[in-house]
Amino acid sequence: MKKIFALLLAVALCSCAFADEAKLKTTEQLKTERLAAQRGTVGQYIAEDLLGDKKGSLLTTYEKYVDAIAALRQGKIRAVVMDEMPAKRFLNEVEGLAIMDESLSEENYAIGFRKGNTELVSAVNKALAEMKADGTLDAIFAKYLNGDYTAVKPEDIDFNKGAKGGKLYVGTEAGFAPYELKVGTGYIGIDVEMCAVIAKKLGRELVIENMNFDALPMAVSTNKVDMICAGITVTDERKENMDFSDNYVVGAKQVAVVRADDYEK
Amino acid sequence: MQMTMRNNLCSRREGAGRGDIVLGIFALFLLYLLYDSGFFTAAAWQDFNRRFYQNFVKDSRYMMLVDGLKSTIFMTTGATLIGLAVGLILSVIRVAYKGGADIPMLNKLANTYITVLRGTPAMVQLLIWNFTIFASARDLNTQYIAILAFGLNSGAYVAEIFRGGIESIDPGQMEAARSLGLSYGTSMRFVILPQALRNVVPMLFNEFIALLKETSVAGYIGIDDLTRAGQNIQALTLEHSQPLVMVAIIYLVIVLFLTHLVRKLEEWLSRGRRG
Repeated sequence: MKKIFALLLAVALCSCAFADEAKLKTTEQLKTERLAAQRGTVGQYIAEDLLGDKKGSLLTTYEKYVDAIAALRQGKIRAVVMDEMPAKRFLNEVEGLAIMDESLSEENYAIGFRKGNTELVSAVNKALAEMKADGTLDAIFAKYLNGDYTAVKPEDIDFNKGAKGGKLYVGTEAGFAPYELKVGTGYIGIDVEMCAVIAKKLGRELVIENMNFDALPMAVSTNKVDMICAGITVTDERKENMDFSDNYVVGAKQVAVVRADDYEK
Repeated sequence: MQMTMRNNLCSRREGAGRGDIVLGIFALFLLYLLYDSGFFTAAAWQDFNRRFYQNFVKDSRYMMLVDGLKSTIFMTTGATLIGLAVGLILSVIRVAYKGGADIPMLNKLANTYITVLRGTPAMVQLLIWNFTIFASARDLNTQYIAILAFGLNSGAYVAEIFRGGIESIDPGQMEAARSLGLSYGTSMRFVILPQALRNVVPMLFNEFIALLKETSVAGYIGIDDLTRAGQNIQALTLEHSQPLVMVAIIYLVIVLFLTHLVRKLEEWLSRGRRG
């Protein structure tokens, strides 16, 4: 009896998995689909807004993008809401993925600080303004957006070791290429190189603390790190709990990553 | 006891038991699934090899796992030592109180400690240690915080293991020792504890094996332990399965090795034991 039951269950599960569904066409359809996002990211908030009341049953949040993409490929979910740049990297490296043409929103990235740490915020803003003015920031972006950044070696980035001004602790989540990525025992990425230059301008040594994305706000508010820099989107809600520098990325698109065979342009 | 032994012998003589048949069918089914998914074709092997090279060989990426393993072992060893020390102190307090020592406050304290640390998840404790208690300690190596958190957590479990071991010794042993004129402390040290230790060693080892696996949440506070190293490789190659399976295999090999050690140790300890 038990065996027959198990067999029936297996058949039922299989038929569920292979049930035909209409292909995705517009982001409007996502409002009633199973979605995923990385926990604590703006992708999660966008997915929550899309789904409304149904977010409890339809939204899954993962600790890492890799997990979300794996769930997508296995058909556990129909779309991952994430930033366009890391999404493009997934498309290059992983077969069978597509990005929906219509983007979900555009966001600005900034560096996050503990609420009330105005001294550091203005010092970093000054450094950022200088970098924007003399082209340093553009050069860093060009290096990662155009070239093959996997060839960048962590040891080539100047962390200003032994600086007299002490250390500048920066929290990040090094699974967000091309912004930050762990390679061997070191880190590369746009944010890392930008923070290295900022640290140099402040006369301090850069120390990267790599933690989970949803632990970053906690780390900066408890003063565990001086600032957090991980492609963090500026939102009103986040502004209540931390201070932000000026934007260093404007108009970063949030997109839906889907399976290529599940998408009809 | 005799009954079950005889039953075991009987079933063994009958050949494979029902469990073996189920396992066999399951294994065949898995093989079929692999075959069906084209795992045994040359192309699949090539793909497997290419991904293996990407994940572990290219740019010496296996070193990330080696470094992670070092960190895991370092944390487990440190936490084990703290756990042993804390557990021993706690169990001595509790046993001594039961044995008539006048230390009600200490006993209460030990009880509270054990209740709180056993009653909350190790990961929550780790987060509290790192982000609340040691919030301002930034130059301190995070691994030491993890060692402290895991060690103090383990101490609560070890205390219970020790206490169980001591209480498993027949009270007659203590009475006999005392009646021979030995003091409470001396009887404890030379009569009870040596026997208790023999009982608790396997359980202690199991606790350390559990601890080894527990350290896998250390990535949460920014430590690149073995699990986190696998995730770092995932982020690098965007490959999901291979790094995780490799991490699992490494954990399993260590645990199997430790389990083997426990068995040897158990055999060695039960040498010359009567009955």
